[in-house]
Amino acid sequence: MSSEPRIVAFLCNWCSYAGADLAGTSRIRYPPNIRIIRVMCSGRVDPAFIFRAFETGADGVLVGGCHPGDCHYVSGNLKAEKRMENTKKLLKLLGLGPERLRLEWISAAEGEKFAQVVTDFTGTLRRIGPNPLKAKTNVNKSIDVEAVVSEALKKTNVQYCVECGKCSGSCPVSRVDNSFSPRRVVERFLLGFEDKVISGKDLWTCLSCYQCSERCPSDVRFPEFVRACRSIAPRDMLEETCAHRGIPMTLSRIMINPKIKQDRMGWLPERAQISKRGDLLYFVGCLPYLDILFEDFNLELIKTPQSVVKILNKVGIKPAMLPNEKCCGHDLLWTGDLENFEKLAKLNVANIKATGAKRVVTSCPECYRTIKKDYAEFVGELDFEVLHMSELLSELVDKDELKFEVYPERKVVYHDSCRLGRQMGVYEPPRKVISSLPGTQLVEMERNRENALCCGVNAWLSCNKYHKEIQMDRLKEAKATGADLLVTTCPKCRIHWKCVTSEKLPINPDEITMEMRDLSVLVAEAMNLA
Amino acid sequence: MKVKTMEANKSVLVIGGGIAGMQASLDLADRGLKVFLLEKTPSIGGRMAQLDKTFPTMDCSICILAPKMIECLRHPNITLLTYCEVQDVSGSAGNFTVKVLKKPRFIDEEKCTGCGECAQYCPIEVPNEFDMGIGIRKAIYVPLPQAVPLKYTIDEENCIKCRLCQRTCKAEAVDFDQKPETINLNVGAIIVATGFDMFDARKRREYGYGRYRNVLISLEFERLVSASGPTGGHIVRLSDGRVPRRIAFIQCVGSRSLKGGVTFCSSACCVYATKEAILIREHDPECEVYIFYNELKIFGKGFQEFVTRARDEWGVKYIRALPGEVVEDPKTHDLTMWYEDTTENVTKNMKVDLVVLCPALIPTVANKELASILGLDLDEYGFFECKDPLFKPIDTNVPGIFICGYSQGPKDIPESVAQASGAAARAAEVMALAASREAQ
Amino acid sequence: MKRVEEETPRIGVFICHCGINIGGIVNVPEVVEYAKTLPGVVYAEDNLYTCSSVGISKIKEGIAKHNLNRVIVASCTPRTHEPLFRGACEEAGVNKYLFEMANIRDQCSWAHMHEPEKATEKAKDLVRMAVAKSRLLKSLEEPEIDVTPSALVIGGGISGMTTALCLAGQGFKVYIVEKEPELGGMLRHLYKLYPTMQDASERLNHIVNSVKSDKGIEVLTSTVVKQVKGFIGNFEVTVQKANGGTANFGVGTIIVATGAPIFEPVGMYGYGEYDNVITQLQLEQLLKDGQLKKPKSVIMIQCVGAREKEGRTYCSRICCMTAIKNAMLIKDLYPDTDVHILFRQLQTYGEHYEEHYRTAQDKGVKFIKYLQEKPPEVISGKNGKLTVNVHHALLDEELKFGSDLVVLSTPLIQHEDAKKLSQILKVPLGSDGFFFEAHVKLRPIDFATDGIYVCGTAHSPKDTPESVSQALGVASRAAIPMALKRLRTEAITAVVNETYVVAVEPA
Repeated sequence: MSSEPRIVAFLCNWCSYAGADLAGTSRIRYPPNIRIIRVMCSGRVDPAFIFRAFETGADGVLVGGCHPGDCHYVSGNLKAEKRMENTKKLLKLLGLGPERLRLEWISAAEGEKFAQVVTDFTGTLRRIGPNPLKAKTNVNKSIDVEAVVSEALKKTNVQYCVECGKCSGSCPVSRVDNSFSPRRVVERFLLGFEDKVISGKDLWTCLSCYQCSERCPSDVRFPEFVRACRSIAPRDMLEETCAHRGIPMTLSRIMINPKIKQDRMGWLPERAQISKRGDLLYFVGCLPYLDILFEDFNLELIKTPQSVVKILNKVGIKPAMLPNEKCCGHDLLWTGDLENFEKLAKLNVANIKATGAKRVVTSCPECYRTIKKDYAEFVGELDFEVLHMSELLSELVDKDELKFEVYPERKVVYHDSCRLGRQMGVYEPPRKVISSLPGTQLVEMERNRENALCCGVNAWLSCNKYHKEIQMDRLKEAKATGADLLVTTCPKCRIHWKCVTSEKLPINPDEITMEMRDLSVLVAEAMNLA
Repeated sequence: MKVKTMEANKSVLVIGGGIAGMQASLDLADRGLKVFLLEKTPSIGGRMAQLDKTFPTMDCSICILAPKMIECLRHPNITLLTYCEVQDVSGSAGNFTVKVLKKPRFIDEEKCTGCGECAQYCPIEVPNEFDMGIGIRKAIYVPLPQAVPLKYTIDEENCIKCRLCQRTCKAEAVDFDQKPETINLNVGAIIVATGFDMFDARKRREYGYGRYRNVLISLEFERLVSASGPTGGHIVRLSDGRVPRRIAFIQCVGSRSLKGGVTFCSSACCVYATKEAILIREHDPECEVYIFYNELKIFGKGFQEFVTRARDEWGVKYIRALPGEVVEDPKTHDLTMWYEDTTENVTKNMKVDLVVLCPALIPTVANKELASILGLDLDEYGFFECKDPLFKPIDTNVPGIFICGYSQGPKDIPESVAQASGAAARAAEVMALAASREAQ
Repeated sequence: MKRVEEETPRIGVFICHCGINIGGIVNVPEVVEYAKTLPGVVYAEDNLYTCSSVGISKIKEGIAKHNLNRVIVASCTPRTHEPLFRGACEEAGVNKYLFEMANIRDQCSWAHMHEPEKATEKAKDLVRMAVAKSRLLKSLEEPEIDVTPSALVIGGGISGMTTALCLAGQGFKVYIVEKEPELGGMLRHLYKLYPTMQDASERLNHIVNSVKSDKGIEVLTSTVVKQVKGFIGNFEVTVQKANGGTANFGVGTIIVATGAPIFEPVGMYGYGEYDNVITQLQLEQLLKDGQLKKPKSVIMIQCVGAREKEGRTYCSRICCMTAIKNAMLIKDLYPDTDVHILFRQLQTYGEHYEEHYRTAQDKGVKFIKYLQEKPPEVISGKNGKLTVNVHHALLDEELKFGSDLVVLSTPLIQHEDAKKLSQILKVPLGSDGFFFEAHVKLRPIDFATDGIYVCGTAHSPKDTPESVSQALGVASRAAIPMALKRLRTEAITAVVNETYVVAVEPA
């Protein structure tokens, strides 16, 4: 393995690519470590390409575009600039280092500049050393299809289906996308048409919201059946249907590598009291990454972990935290990447054990379900108790340990996210907490608890017009309660709803725009800690 | 009637005054054996009395039932023990000793003529259990106009002791000093015929029963459509009294479920829903009726032909899909149901005015207590276990005690009647054996 | 009793509303007023439910207060309540044969729901007819007869044997007449019985031995019923044995337990043409004898010759469970064999059969629903291999299966010689061919003819425990007249008017 750094470059056709050509025709020399990919505009460069490059071992990525004002497509390079800023922040979090990504404006006449940039960049990369992810490729090994399929059949009860149709009658996707029918998917599978099911589009449409499963008289676990099928399905369907070009999954996979040292504690509030060991561990989840990825939405996602730490400190708890916490792996699990999910699970469990924690609390419902349920299933029984922040807050309310100082008069409507609600059965603790806030009146949507409507997207899949309809439906329902705030515990729900309200839609945005709040932030505000 | 002891080998105790209990009693009485027919409510009749018509013949239910009820009252060999409960049983086949608790009606049964004046003056109104809570009764009441015995009862819980009834009663039958009585019986055999209750449809929250006024369960609907029911037989919505234009039935609510209900099939609902659908179409040919089902259970004699008639002659529409949920419009109380239509292969919704749920019919909840008193085995759903599911469906683990009707397993009226006669035959065999032993 | 023929008729008319069943269509008050105008009527009233205890009391009160000696009730069909009203008359001192009914519900208000005025006119006429007849009624005494305390059971299958054992246990003599050389009926040909999967022969032999060793039961195998004369309590039976000889004996009651054979679907789905298309019964035999060679793919087709548009319109109740049971037996023998059951509506009713369905699903039996309008096709191919095409109702797709064994589930049907038996006994057959009971709901195992009863698959398709329940049921019904030893029979009988007799044929 050579220790020479490898640079992958995306150069825009009109300026920087031409500039590189000029360097060549002018015989200006520069290190041969660079590999160039031509794109039409630097604005075309998707951060997904950049992460892919790093994931597959590139030591540095160069993006070249036209000077501002010169862009052949007017503003493409400005978009690139914004994106690259964002990507650099993520690279910093990951611990890969923002220096590995360079954005340069190189015109068609600047052959010299091109050579200079490459030489400089190569030197920097030699200095900071190779990409810790080098030589690691995440290719799914071939899995024993028969074993997976029979496992799915046994555990998920598909063979008990009696075609009653309750699933299709309950499925929120079925209502808006008539081609999707859980009942027919199961029937095809049972009849031996596994191939059609596994290579089809339907497999990636399911929200895994568990509404069907909750009502199914034969206890068919359709989402888990879908999940098992996804693990043997061809990946091209996944790539076709996955929103944000799979960036969150890429980040999760990158974290598996033990050489990655994340820099993810920067959000901690001043004077926060945390520790390396302790009885209670706070598992943050991917909020620091999501906060950056979706910074345009102004959701202040990072306030959630900040509020949690402040509340815990206020009641005298010094939580243990993992400076190298890995993604819980939820999205990998639900898109069928079982191999990498298992790796993440094992790493996280080992790291948690090392802190000596007896209880692990998390504010994210997906982390909650994944650690409490799926880790136990895939990795073995856990030595620690897992609880959701709402359960911990509910305990504190019972013990009267939360002191509220702010009493705004307002109506709050609570949304049961699928993972916390239907899947884990935690319905009452968040409600108890909200009801305990002085001045706050809790109102319910008609579809609540086990009948709550999913926020419309799962694991970033299938974010299309059908799913937008589901999202608008839910927001209209929330709005109709007359509440001032829509409160939930799941950051993904808030992201998806914010996404739909930011788009150009065929309805009046006032009908669906609601102020949203995370539960922990709501409590921290009432305690005057925000 | 303080203490009654009859010769052991001459009398049989029948627990449950529904159609099965009555049939068993009449068979035994007609052949010369003495029967104690025990019923925990104030009147015999059971569930069949609550029905309007019966499938597949569309006979008026109370019409064919009332003669049997009256026969039980008049038969010299049958003693009715209504408003009574079994407290203790000891002994063995041929010679059981049974302790019965007679709950106080606060009415002297010898004096009461059933005239009903007292109820006119009683100030307390409570939901009528016989009408499934839709109609009203007074604190002094008979459960149904054709009650047998036609004696009033005072509901202790709701009575405020204003004594208006006592002042009104010309027969001087009201007696607030009445105490619970213990009756001791000596019988040779016991027949259990305790019937069914309904699965609590509120457990399937997605259908809105208990929250939406226009979602009913089938027995409530039967009361609506019964001429002697709370609306005089007129099918109207409870939310606004409007006549519905479109009614939907949802089958299998809580039945055939591996979770959230019971695993067994109640065996009567597909056909009784068809019956109710035909009744609706008879009452109002303009009203559309849909039955949402999973598998149509049409195995009984005449069932398939009944359903074919319903579909072809009466225009009842059958859709093979269980709806995912029922949603109410809070302003109009109209209901919307979501289901997957298999003919068009789309998931769609349908707006209806009234939804009737067919919940699982579960064995009477009180079976648990009765089983421990009698020493009988009960399965996980509350059905009494028979000795051999193939060749001894009526015998139990206790010789001399027999089961019949729904308490033995899901079945309809003709099967209950036949099996009740079967229980009578077995009881008679026991009595014959005991008599021949005594003779020796 | 007074000699009412000498008295002037004093007729009381009681008109029933029957809730809204009559009152909602016929103008009952108008009919009451009309009745009062009829000659001989001294009293008329209406009641909401005449059959209720209130209604019965009103009849008795009316009789006492107005000194009635004739009673008319205009209400439903005499087939339900005539005995009840007659009883009320008796209790009030009026001979029960001085009572008459007018059927203004089943034959009036219910049949003319859309023409209330015409229905009211008709009701008036029906009342007038009943009143006119009542003037001519005479009081009659019912003769008492002795009842022979023995029963004839026609059919020695599980139903016949169960009822025989129970009747013998109650002390009555029983004759079992069985046309086959052995007792046992259909159970002799079955392998295992659901839901317990017990061996049919094992239990059967036990019961047959009980019957044979019971001193109260006389078994006549290879024998058929040739003639029955008489009436309840006093039947004279002539039977014919296989060797041609006859025998006579008297019984008090007769029980029909003749069972039902299965339909042979000749010409359907290749049955009779291809060797590997068989019936469930034939499959049972193969399994019982251990003769089933390992098939690769078994297709079972339900509702073959049943639930048709015409003819055999009924559901044969037991075929779905039989198919499921046999499918599980095949899977237990050969786990690799594919088994598909093509059904229309799956009849897994009752307490245990749903669980069996789940067990079958667990074992890998596949279920495919097909519609009546698009039945499957069985096509023969090379080397005797069959192809089965079926239109999947839910997926709306044509599916093709290769199969080396197609099993047809066919219904139980009535015996060919049932018509003859029904004529001998003078009991009816229903439109489905099975014996027709007195009342579908409340007298399911009685015939309208007193003293004759029916149980088991002779009544309708059913499984073993259901047959046993019915068999025990008839043991109770038949025991009633036999236990009382004496019976009052119908007083109204035919009488020969010797004036008009032209010739007398030798008996």
